[in-house]
Amino acid sequence: MEQDHELVKQCLTGDNLAWENLLHLHSRKIYNLCYRFTGRREDADDLTQEVFIKIFQTLKSFDPAQGSFSTWLNRVARNHLVDHYRRTKKDRVTSSLEETSVRIEEKPARGEHPIERLEHRERHEALQAALEHLSPELREAVILRDLQDLDYAEIAQVLSVPQGTVKSRINRGRLELARLIKRMDE
Amino acid sequence: MTHLEIEHLASDYLEGQLDAAARAQMEKHLDACEECRGLMGSLREALDLCHTAEALEPPPWMVPNILRATIGESRPAFSERLQAFLRPVFQLRVAYTVAMAVFSISILINASGLNVRKLRLSDLNPGTWFYRANQAGHLLAARAERFYYDLRVVYEIESRLSQLRPSNARKPASEPARPAGGASDKGVARDSQMAWIGTSKIDRLAASARKP
Repeated sequence: MEQDHELVKQCLTGDNLAWENLLHLHSRKIYNLCYRFTGRREDADDLTQEVFIKIFQTLKSFDPAQGSFSTWLNRVARNHLVDHYRRTKKDRVTSSLEETSVRIEEKPARGEHPIERLEHRERHEALQAALEHLSPELREAVILRDLQDLDYAEIAQVLSVPQGTVKSRINRGRLELARLIKRMDE
Repeated sequence: MTHLEIEHLASDYLEGQLDAAARAQMEKHLDACEECRGLMGSLREALDLCHTAEALEPPPWMVPNILRATIGESRPAFSERLQAFLRPVFQLRVAYTVAMAVFSISILINASGLNVRKLRLSDLNPGTWFYRANQAGHLLAARAERFYYDLRVVYEIESRLSQLRPSNARKPASEPARPAGGASDKGVARDSQMAWIGTSKIDRLAASARKP
């Protein structure tokens, strides 16, 4: 956290190297957040770039007193994702669970049997497909908690909602996710 | 505890945030209700999937694209540019190429008869190089030709010698032993003397042909 604040200060003085370091520190996390939310690598790539351009332009408005840089970055990214979701709502074609095809390229674990690898891949494809069928409110809550490992207080800050709402959304999101995955298995 | 209450408390139960009384009540219900047990099993599985999901690597062009869009093209320092310029030079294949080039140039210099230590103005003229290379080529061809003919002469002489030697060697063996003295003895002595003279002449010829 201290490192982030220091880098932000240096960025504000025009230090390009500090900005590059800040990018390297956080781009992977934001890319994964965008990917889990949209389910498309191309969209995740574009959205991550847009988020960081926005961050660069509004870096002066970051206030360390209101929370960490990471929380602020997640909030900007989440708002951008919601905007993108609303913007593309009309373009999206509602698909059934059976029609959903997700491609997740993962590195095979060493020593993993090909059949196990295939099963592992199928399970994670099912997870991504199920995530895409959650409503945006439940999806973002589950992603932030269970895939990005944020605590309830941080998620409440990112989503700008009370912690009780966060807990409720996470619980509902998880139950819905479990039911969807079970349905896919059947 | 009802099914709905179990659903409400599912996350708290799995995260260990329930107090002892609520936990005991929930476990009692789960023991008795197969449906809720199944739901908790699915929930555990979904959470395991989330926690074991691997983070994806962003594409390599993403960060450079963001940098270009925000701070523009970053200008590398002189040392970085120098390093980038010299990077291809420090490779094994470049060393091989340079070694082969030096080897080829040294052969060409030798063939053209250039003395690098005593260079003259005329040595820098490509016409001179060509003339000298041509001269060296012709000289080499002439030497090779001479060597070949010498070899032929030696071969011819040696083949004649080999024809003569067995006939001389066979004579005494094939002829019956003659008594000592008399005209026949004289004739044998003359033949062997002739053979010796003939051999020595041919040997002398062969020796002279071997001389360079």
